[in-house]
Amino acid sequence: MSVLMATALHAANVCQKNVAYVGNTVDPKNCSDPNWVDTGNTSWQMTAATFVGLMSLPGLAVLYAGLVPKKWAVNTMFMAFTGFSAVMVVWVLWGYKMGFGSPIGGGTPSGDYTYHYTGNFFANFFNNFVGHPQSINGGNAQMGQAGLPIGTAVPLQMPTPALAYFQFVFAAITPLLFLGSVVGRIKPIVWMIFVPAWCTFVYTVNAMLLWGGGYWAHEGALDYSGGYVIHLAAGVSGFTAAWIIGPRLARDKAKWVPHSLTMVAVGAGIVWLGWNGFNGGDPYFSGRDAATALINTNAATAAGLLTWVVWDMVLSKSKKPTFLGGVNGMICGLVGITPCAGYVSGSGALWVGIITSTIVWFAWTYLQPITLRKVDDASGVVYTHGLAGLCGGLLVGIFADPSIIVYTSSNGNPVTVAGALYGHPKQLLIQFLAALTIIIWDALLTFIILRVIGIFTSLRVPDDFLEGGDVEIHEEEAYPPDEGYVRTGELVGVGATPGSSGSTTASPGASSDSLAGETR
Amino acid sequence: MKLVTAIIKPFRLDNVKEALEAVGAKGLTVTEAQGFGRQKGHTETYRGAEYQVAFTPKIKVEVLVDDAAVTGVVDAIVKAARTEKIGDGKIWVTDVDTVVRIRTGETGPDAI
Repeated sequence: MSVLMATALHAANVCQKNVAYVGNTVDPKNCSDPNWVDTGNTSWQMTAATFVGLMSLPGLAVLYAGLVPKKWAVNTMFMAFTGFSAVMVVWVLWGYKMGFGSPIGGGTPSGDYTYHYTGNFFANFFNNFVGHPQSINGGNAQMGQAGLPIGTAVPLQMPTPALAYFQFVFAAITPLLFLGSVVGRIKPIVWMIFVPAWCTFVYTVNAMLLWGGGYWAHEGALDYSGGYVIHLAAGVSGFTAAWIIGPRLARDKAKWVPHSLTMVAVGAGIVWLGWNGFNGGDPYFSGRDAATALINTNAATAAGLLTWVVWDMVLSKSKKPTFLGGVNGMICGLVGITPCAGYVSGSGALWVGIITSTIVWFAWTYLQPITLRKVDDASGVVYTHGLAGLCGGLLVGIFADPSIIVYTSSNGNPVTVAGALYGHPKQLLIQFLAALTIIIWDALLTFIILRVIGIFTSLRVPDDFLEGGDVEIHEEEAYPPDEGYVRTGELVGVGATPGSSGSTTASPGASSDSLAGETR
Repeated sequence: MKLVTAIIKPFRLDNVKEALEAVGAKGLTVTEAQGFGRQKGHTETYRGAEYQVAFTPKIKVEVLVDDAAVTGVVDAIVKAARTEKIGDGKIWVTDVDTVVRIRTGETGPDAI
């Protein structure tokens, strides 16, 4: 009890530095938070978000670094870390509200979420396709209750930053996924401009349309965790970007051997298990639908992985199972189940994994060699994410099962959705039209953004630099050899030894030597 | 019999191998090597610390040939490895006393 009291007093102390807290009684149950906060839901949201963040860093960073030749490993990881950072800044300054705030054609920036519907398709669409850009950095925004335009009937039990960070990690992983398309030639500065621009003009629109209560959400389109918003978007945008930026160096393209399958294993494993947060976090409530989404995700993934391996053994040229094939199948399962996770039953999930992996296997085997000649999508993102996301998005229109209860409404009625197999064939049409919207918008805007950036600077690293890869572009390499390094230049501050007692006036030369020895 | 040793840029290896096959070389040995010539090393920077890296990665190709084939082989390597930029490498030719094919025990030109 005394420990609890001390903790409560300490909390009060921290929360209210400027207020006399002595004598205030802190309710240990609610501590500093109002009644609408549910600690279980909020905890899971932040945990799930962190899981998804780990899928990017280090998950995708090392997965992609392992998939590229040794001379591109540093560049690939650099792009992953800078892309993640660029989206974070955009997100808190204006991005979150564009995706999840008040629709631009209705309501006000301050949070009136009126859905504005006039009857004309174009007006309906463009009134409700993106939100008012607005920062969420203010104290009031950070202390406020998370809300969604679509969610007025579903009161979220967490503060805005929990939801905003959860949505950020989704926004951040999307450009990192299509990094796989443009790796090996895009100029770092172009990447660092393209990613925030893409997040602003493409991702927020995808998110508002399907999740933020925009047009397609209103029409009933389903995308549980981003089969369209993230994976179809990444595939289409990556493919378009690869086409505009042009191919890798011919020599690189001809010999693009993954330099570390071990790193691929580390990254792929983090991506798979991180997906528990990806799909498990999307109900915004840590309850039975979250648990269902989580186990369905893993079932589909396992089925997708095994399906790919079986196709490899039955139909590939060598008839041998391959590890990287298994990883491709894993990704197909994960991506395919993403739009379905908490809408389908467990058996639906297995079918989604099998069907998605099969379709992508055949496209990868027979179609990819043809498209690769025209458009150099280096890692085949348009297949493992674009096509797989499209498959999953259409499959939810078939397999969505009304016995899966997404929410229970305030009057006690279950909120469910049904696909074509359960008497609602129109869902498939809605899914198709929503996919078409994403494909057209994302391809068009990716094209425009890159063309505009291209006016100011070349999109590509010059060929001479492409020969050397990491060493030319960053003056770093992933695995520096042990020998042959001689320290040059002045030692300015870096690695200076503050607080080292004893030696007072070591000559610069001496300290240089010892440092060079240490650093190596 | 001669041993032709060539130091080449790593990414020219495929061209050199094809060119050698075209002039009838029966085999070759490849080693990853590092070194410097007129092309000095390059700079790398780690956490703000600058390093001069003295050695550049190269490929060493070794081919055993009959005396009569030396000129053809050397020409083939030169053509295939040349980019006309600094660091294209070097070729040297040395005499060889004995060659033995381990599997059959053949010696001399028969073993090449």
